[in-house]
Amino acid sequence: MVTADTKMDKQPEHGCAYCEAQSDDPHFCSGCGKIQPVRDDSDFFTFFGLPRKLVIDESALESTFYKLSRQFHPDYFMGASEPEREASMQRSSLLNDAYRTLRDRIRRVSYLLTLEGYKEAEKKAPPDLLEEVFELNMQIEELKEAKGSGDDADLAQARSALEDALAGLKEKLASIDRKLAILFQDWDRAVDSGDPAKKAVLDRISELLSHRSYINHLVNSVLEEL
Amino acid sequence: MPVIELSLSGRPKSARVVGIDLGTTNSLVAYMSDSGPEVIRDESGNALVPSIVYFDYEQDRLLVGEEARDRLITEPRKAIYSVKRFMGRGSADVQEDLSLVPFEIAPDSEQVIGFKMGDRVFTSPEISAFILRDLRRRASQFFGEEVTQAVITVPAYFNDAQRQATKDAGHLAGLDVLRIVNEPTAASLAYGVDKKEEAIVAVYDLGGGTFDVSILKLKDGIFEVLATNGDTHLGGDDIDNQLISLILNELESGFGKSFSKDPSVFQAIRKLSVQAKHQLSNSDQASLEIEIGDAGERYTRTITRDEFQKLIHDLVERTLAPCKQALKDAGLSPGQIDEVIMVGGSTRIPLVRRKVEELFKREPHVELNPDEVVALGAAIQADVLSGGRRDLLLLDVTPLSLGIETMGGVVAKIINRNSTIPASAAEIFTTWVDNQTGIDVHVLQGERELVEDCRSLAKFTLKGIPPQPAGLPRIEVKFLIDANGILTVSASDLRTRAQQSIEVKPSYGLSDEQIEKMLLDSFEFAEEDIRKRQLIEARNEAETLIRAAEKALSGDAHAFIDADERTTIQRAVDDLRSAMGGDDHHLIRDRMKTLDDSSRHLAEQMMDSALLGALKDRKASEVAEG
Repeated sequence: MVTADTKMDKQPEHGCAYCEAQSDDPHFCSGCGKIQPVRDDSDFFTFFGLPRKLVIDESALESTFYKLSRQFHPDYFMGASEPEREASMQRSSLLNDAYRTLRDRIRRVSYLLTLEGYKEAEKKAPPDLLEEVFELNMQIEELKEAKGSGDDADLAQARSALEDALAGLKEKLASIDRKLAILFQDWDRAVDSGDPAKKAVLDRISELLSHRSYINHLVNSVLEEL
Repeated sequence: MPVIELSLSGRPKSARVVGIDLGTTNSLVAYMSDSGPEVIRDESGNALVPSIVYFDYEQDRLLVGEEARDRLITEPRKAIYSVKRFMGRGSADVQEDLSLVPFEIAPDSEQVIGFKMGDRVFTSPEISAFILRDLRRRASQFFGEEVTQAVITVPAYFNDAQRQATKDAGHLAGLDVLRIVNEPTAASLAYGVDKKEEAIVAVYDLGGGTFDVSILKLKDGIFEVLATNGDTHLGGDDIDNQLISLILNELESGFGKSFSKDPSVFQAIRKLSVQAKHQLSNSDQASLEIEIGDAGERYTRTITRDEFQKLIHDLVERTLAPCKQALKDAGLSPGQIDEVIMVGGSTRIPLVRRKVEELFKREPHVELNPDEVVALGAAIQADVLSGGRRDLLLLDVTPLSLGIETMGGVVAKIINRNSTIPASAAEIFTTWVDNQTGIDVHVLQGERELVEDCRSLAKFTLKGIPPQPAGLPRIEVKFLIDANGILTVSASDLRTRAQQSIEVKPSYGLSDEQIEKMLLDSFEFAEEDIRKRQLIEARNEAETLIRAAEKALSGDAHAFIDADERTTIQRAVDDLRSAMGGDDHHLIRDRMKTLDDSSRHLAEQMMDSALLGALKDRKASEVAEG
């Protein structure tokens, strides 16, 4: 790894860690064919050879994942030199991390936001939801009481009230997801055209993600009680 | 006399990689033949080696497998079984298990359990190493080459410490463990290796001590694990314990005293319970019969399959929650599962099959022998690793989330469960007070929120941070879970780019020093093996020498030597014969030399006379050979 690093410093673009060749392929040297150590600057999109866009063909992503897995996996480097084995391990783990992130649209967009300099989305209640949250807390308390008292009729009533509230929350999540889908397309179009308004799209997405995260948290606490 | 050179086995080293299923109850080894994976059997056709080790301290030797099993009832405290349940665990983790086995535990077993056998203490990895060495010997004999490389399987739900303990055991057995493979994944390889079409497969693996469920997607030769779940403390042993408790309770009410603390009776009951369990998979009832004490009192009863099913119903139910969780994690409903594969001896139980069929709404596959399928799969993976084939690829996952301790004893997850491995995560740490030079990091595994509810993997200190104001240092720690599911940690200072040295202290398991020490100990046992072989060889040669000497003495010796010399030779023969009765090959060799020396004169005389062609027609060579 040490020799690999020094060589990379001299040829930061696509110089091979082992021979003198220059290569377009970020993963393998086109000269000697050896697997290359992971460069610090590789992000998940470029690793997969994808533009920083949000609408992704999932089956094409899977095909690329399988193809690259077959090229990188440590299983196929058992007899290779120590630096190559290390590179295979690093490249495989980066591939797995990248695939895990990109195949899930929420993880994908959260990752894009970090790349674009946003902080991790914190749970934030949508302003129109505050009243419902108070109501929900009361309903959860009622269910707890009903569970304690052992009154079947009370319990059934409290449960069904909470189930209705849950259905409402799920509908809100679905609505956010629909909005996100449209914003994903807006972002992709803005990337293509170089539209300076693309920053506003990300602001909007970031806000929706905070709401989504908050509602998800509510859904989970309701599910725990039910 | 020719000097006999002994290598450890006298066999050339093999490039072959074998697949080993190191099971709770039985272990076995398999390899890739030209026609497909095959298990390696002994002379009597048995593939399974009971995972039992007995240390005979009077004779200073180890028995493994069937031989050790025979000692279970006669010397129950010295035969160790089900050691897999104790791998990578400390005594506090397994109080309940320990109460169910008759072994003596060494006092300092908090981090690694030590079992007392006679006056010696062996840890779980060492006991497992004895089993592995037996399998290695079996494979080496089979190939006529010294096998040194293996793939070893573990339950998918094994944590880092349990995996590491298994790898340590392989190391102690002289094996280069190329990969730790999850048992259900291995089984899916054995089933799916020839399948071409895309399929979602669930593997239900109920073994002797552990339960696993894995859901895989098979596509174009890629076996991608989508989710796994399980319980490393649920298996056939627990089923046996239900029957054992039933019998113990009935004995207590029938005889008015408890037998649970009587190891011999306990082992007899355990054997009986296992037999009854096996019988109830094929017939509607089984009879339980046991003789208690010297008075010849008997306990007899029949148990029906219905009764048995009621006894084990809750245990079988306990396997369903992990199945549902795995489905949920994979984002699938039971109806989307195309095939269900049954693995492990306990899946022979009709109730287990019925419950699995109900859950997945599919009749499960039982074509392959559930005891052998994991080893067969391991052999396929071994073939891939040895470069035999490139059309197959296993993409497995880590079964448990990896986290680090944060403020207030809360665990922050950095790698989620069911992440494809190798998987990595990087965290940046900084200081809390000015001029702080070290940062403590605590790594845990588990799904719960609080440190106390997760499994501590390791603690380490990032040392040598240059004194700076609080919050200024930026130390990046990289966590990497490799393809074995084992964690490695590295750290670097983001400002100076200097690699930080980390001394990771595992919370459970053996340190490198302990392993070194054990390796030395195991050489003792390897020496034991050599000694046995040397003894046999020395005895054989001594026998030849005595035969030649006696033949010469009974022939025309009087023509060459006087009575004194004759007596000397005869005494040397007698001394050698008595040495042959013992087990010291050095003594035998010494006395062979004495006999050789004392009979040299006679031999020379006879040789001379033969060469001169004089006197009688004798075969002096028979003497000279010695």
